[in-house]
Amino acid sequence: MSLAVQAQRLTKQYRGRSGTVDAVRGVDLSVPAGQVFGFLGPNGAGKSTTVRMLTTLLTITSGTARVAGVDVAADPDAARRRIGVALQEAGLDPRQTGRELLVLQGRLFGGSRSRAAGRAQELLELVDLVDAGDRRIKGYSGGMKRRLDLASALVHEPEVLFLDEPTTGLDPASRITVWDELRRINARGTTIFLTTQYLEEADQLCDRIAIIDGGVIVREGTPQALKDELRERRGLATDPTLDEVFLDATGRKRERVAGEVQEVLA
Amino acid sequence: MTAIQQAGVLGTRSLREALRTPEALAPTLFIPMFFLVVNLGQAGKIFPSSSTSFLHGQNYAAFQLPASLLLAASFGTAALYMVEDIEGGYFDKLRAAPVSRSALVIGRLLAEAAKSVVITAVLVLLALPFGVSVASGPLGLVLLLVLTSLWAVIYAGFMQLIALKTRSAAATNSGGLVFFPLLFLTPNFVPRELLTRPMEIAASVNPVTYVMEALRSLILQDVQWATVGRGFGVVAVLGVVMVALNLRVIRHYD
Repeated sequence: MSLAVQAQRLTKQYRGRSGTVDAVRGVDLSVPAGQVFGFLGPNGAGKSTTVRMLTTLLTITSGTARVAGVDVAADPDAARRRIGVALQEAGLDPRQTGRELLVLQGRLFGGSRSRAAGRAQELLELVDLVDAGDRRIKGYSGGMKRRLDLASALVHEPEVLFLDEPTTGLDPASRITVWDELRRINARGTTIFLTTQYLEEADQLCDRIAIIDGGVIVREGTPQALKDELRERRGLATDPTLDEVFLDATGRKRERVAGEVQEVLA
Repeated sequence: MTAIQQAGVLGTRSLREALRTPEALAPTLFIPMFFLVVNLGQAGKIFPSSSTSFLHGQNYAAFQLPASLLLAASFGTAALYMVEDIEGGYFDKLRAAPVSRSALVIGRLLAEAAKSVVITAVLVLLALPFGVSVASGPLGLVLLLVLTSLWAVIYAGFMQLIALKTRSAAATNSGGLVFFPLLFLTPNFVPRELLTRPMEIAASVNPVTYVMEALRSLILQDVQWATVGRGFGVVAVLGVVMVALNLRVIRHYD
């Protein structure tokens, strides 16, 4: 079984005026090629920091990370050629058109002008943005920007696609559209490494998940295996939801207060 | 694709960006012209061309034009666009591509040089009705365009450093204001030898002085190679320092 992502004792420390902060504390990850892997955790748990290290955007304090077989610290450019990245905010240039942005991205990945233009057209078709392709991105809706961001991460047909909260802020219809795109991309053999705060999203899309809290992995397995483990441990009559697995793993509590309103307490 | 080609592709994108925001280019023409007109209005009569030897037969607008050209070249818009990319997340998208780190900063500086050539040429054209001519001829005009655009690269490089270090639009914008004290510590209104001693010392240690004197000599006289050479020497040294600092910062950008 080949591994698309492999991290060993991955650590990130930030040094600030108030001392050293351990953002990620010795994370081990093994993601088999071809899977959709969900990386979950509360705000500030270390999800984005881990993704930024795996995608060469952040230096690694200690430990190692290999993506698509390449050591990201030793040969970042080789890693960049094998990965696609769509980060938390859709990182787009609002002054370019969707097509220009994709062509530029294609050129930066080494494509000729004509090849990049051809690939841009294919991707605009893939994410259903052909009609909007020659309009400036400034006028795109949130959902269109997310789809374009996704397309730009696919320009070079990456082996591993990293998506940091790809559906945050999207309406339900746009979210389902993105899910469909991700299933299609994964069906073509691309490994997807996805961070999300939506547990339903992880349940729908992911073959395996890991939950990170306080910079360390606190649970890892298939969604069903994690639910089974909690059911057996707590002696529950029915399957718990992934929300309950998450709350159990991160030590958060859900309590019923003020009638039907539910609140998650840290 | 080589790093130079990548810088070219990114520079082209930066030029497209500038063309699509003409409202950001307008102040780079208007404010320097405003200074030219106001300074001419205030001091033009004090320095009549007939009796002011340092004007070499031209009027005071010709003496003032280099200050306006340098001001126009010191807006550092490349850095302002860069900080927008950083704040909007697009800079990370570019960093996640297998692009030479140097191309990420040099692409914008190349575009800044090209923009500056055009803006300088337009300002020289706008100065013609004020009776200004470039006495050093076509060669002098080319040297003037090149020298001014090299200064633009240096200043944009300085502001890019602020953008990369602070990642803040407000801090980067403030970097533009640093040019004003530099501009006023030059022989801006009269030649260096007519300044008071403290001002002369301040002007002599200010690198902008040598660029300004080189530009001024190109406008007022035949090519004065010693003066022009000093100007180019200053931009060469500062250019190497600024590009080196940009490369160092982008390579350690986390």
